[in-house]
Amino acid sequence: MNAIVEVQDLTKRFGKVEAVKHVSFAFAEEGIHGLLGRNGAGKTTLMKLMTGQEFATEGEVRVFGHSPVENAAVLGRVCFINEAQVYPEDFKGRHALKAASRFFSRWDEAFAARLVDDFAPPLNRPIKKMSRGQRSAIGVIVGLASRAELTFFDEPYAGLDAVARQMFYDHLLADYAAHPRTVVLSTHLIDEAANLLERVVVVDEGSVIIDADAEDLRSQAVTLVGKADGAHAFAAGREVLGVQQLGGLASVTVAGLSDTDRQEAREAGLEVGPVSLQQLVVSRTGGRTADTSEGALQ
Amino acid sequence: MTATAIDAPGAANAAPRRILDVVMLHSTNPWTTLILPWLITFAIFGLNFSIWTLVSRAAGPDLETDAFANNGGVTWILVYMMVVAIQAMSASFRFALGMSVTRRDYYLGSALYFAMLSAIYAAGFTALGWIERLTDGWGLGGYFFAPFGSAAEPLWLHAYAFFVLLLMFFFIGAASAGVWMRWKVSGLLTELLGIAVILVGLAWWITEASAWGSVGSFFTDNSPFVILSWTLPVTVGAGLAGFALLRRATP
Amino acid sequence: MDDERPIFVQIAEQIEGQIVDGSMAEEGQVPSINELAAFHRINPATALKGVNVLVEAGVLYKRRGIGMFVATGAREALVQRRRDAFRADYVRPLVAEATKLSISPAQLADMIKKEAGR
Repeated sequence: MNAIVEVQDLTKRFGKVEAVKHVSFAFAEEGIHGLLGRNGAGKTTLMKLMTGQEFATEGEVRVFGHSPVENAAVLGRVCFINEAQVYPEDFKGRHALKAASRFFSRWDEAFAARLVDDFAPPLNRPIKKMSRGQRSAIGVIVGLASRAELTFFDEPYAGLDAVARQMFYDHLLADYAAHPRTVVLSTHLIDEAANLLERVVVVDEGSVIIDADAEDLRSQAVTLVGKADGAHAFAAGREVLGVQQLGGLASVTVAGLSDTDRQEAREAGLEVGPVSLQQLVVSRTGGRTADTSEGALQ
Repeated sequence: MTATAIDAPGAANAAPRRILDVVMLHSTNPWTTLILPWLITFAIFGLNFSIWTLVSRAAGPDLETDAFANNGGVTWILVYMMVVAIQAMSASFRFALGMSVTRRDYYLGSALYFAMLSAIYAAGFTALGWIERLTDGWGLGGYFFAPFGSAAEPLWLHAYAFFVLLLMFFFIGAASAGVWMRWKVSGLLTELLGIAVILVGLAWWITEASAWGSVGSFFTDNSPFVILSWTLPVTVGAGLAGFALLRRATP
Repeated sequence: MDDERPIFVQIAEQIEGQIVDGSMAEEGQVPSINELAAFHRINPATALKGVNVLVEAGVLYKRRGIGMFVATGAREALVQRRRDAFRADYVRPLVAEATKLSISPAQLADMIKKEAGR
């Protein structure tokens, strides 16, 4: 496996604030990957570091094997769609698309036109007067039609409704199939995107807390529901991610159960339910109760 | 996972093309830099022209022949272009970085665009100044495109003056934008304060050395061409400062 | 695609199901990885993994440059495997429960016949 992005011991400080803390991870070439975490966890800063928009305080970023900073050979193959993208003061929607068509060498004008039909952003409206969703539509169109070998989408569909988001997923999958490339998606709508993702990196407070295949994460944790005594007894000594209690009934989220463990739980009268990627991330990034062991999923 | 480089199969565009792309970015919407300035210029000129007409009708034959020869209206373009540079460098810089442009390519492309704009406006204003002469000041002795009573100077000098002055204001704007991008308001205030301190210090030093006479003779002894050429070191200095500042700027 | 089991397992099972119920004929072409990914809105790598499970099991086979096809005899093998699974998953617990309730095998068989005849 070749790494298209490699981050090693990367730290970014803004004054005294440490936004990224000694982070290391990698994304493989070809695939749709997720960079997840809560707002302010450091996702956008990481993406800016990976696209040379920010300068690292310590550590190393390698994209296509080289530093992306001021490196036209690297950046020419990268597209970064930032939710907070600033546009020139006098730009209308069509100006943004026109400019993008020039900067991205693999831009597909016909595909862009199809996307414009589907997402229907008001191309003649000044971008500063657009709604959040309309601006997101512009970003999504640029990100998809640029066909860059490495595309970052940072919260690409803020303000888009469910129909438009579904359209984005469908276009992404169809175009990815026809033109395989590497896509890194950051989103807080984890459940929606979960099945699209191959590799998942979760950051929390500037650190990577999960770096695993999405498929492995799915079966990593389960929720056990049953009588409180039984549930607690079973959970004792295991990695508990979250506990909820209602009278004599308890729901315990537990990580790292084997198939025989699950069988055992069922035989102990507990109902074994799935934990979605979203629930897993939530319980790992703040929704957690005390004394859970760190890093067991890494 | 290997650390080997996945080397570029010539996917990136070559440097001249990338720099030209930035030029095109600035002109994607030509309104601000190529259309609006002409409209404002013609509006100011039209205003001046109607005043000249009114005054000459009211005054009749008593009017002095050079009454309208001293006009500074056209110099607004210098301030306008400085603002254009500041605005372009802040908003379009952040947009360009979002389009995977390097700071270097962005700055070189912007500098080229500013030079092109300076040339376009210098040529346009000189051409209008030429018509102005042919028509003896639009038939009214009004000299708009030869500001501050400079209608007797040769046309090439006007072209040169417009060009180097526009260039200087563009790059002062670019450098100021660089300061803004790096340190925001506090940076700009410091910059203005710094400039004020330097000017006051310079004045104080000239006074101390009782050198005001030589300053005066600099402007009377040297040709306008030489005096105008002294803007070039300022332009180059501002240009280099702008580049140094933007190289480390983040959106 | 919502239960706790890995998605690729669910993809494999779904294709198996269609072979067993006859909606995918033997020697018929199976949807491509990209079609599966687009239909289920899943990562193509996951769809590939699911299909590969079936290729390894001999249920599907690849024809280079053309696509994936259902192997001859796949249906029979799958039905047999499901029968075995049926016995383990349903009959065994059924008998165990019947024994607990003192239902004799003959009575159980009777009950099943009646149920089937309804």
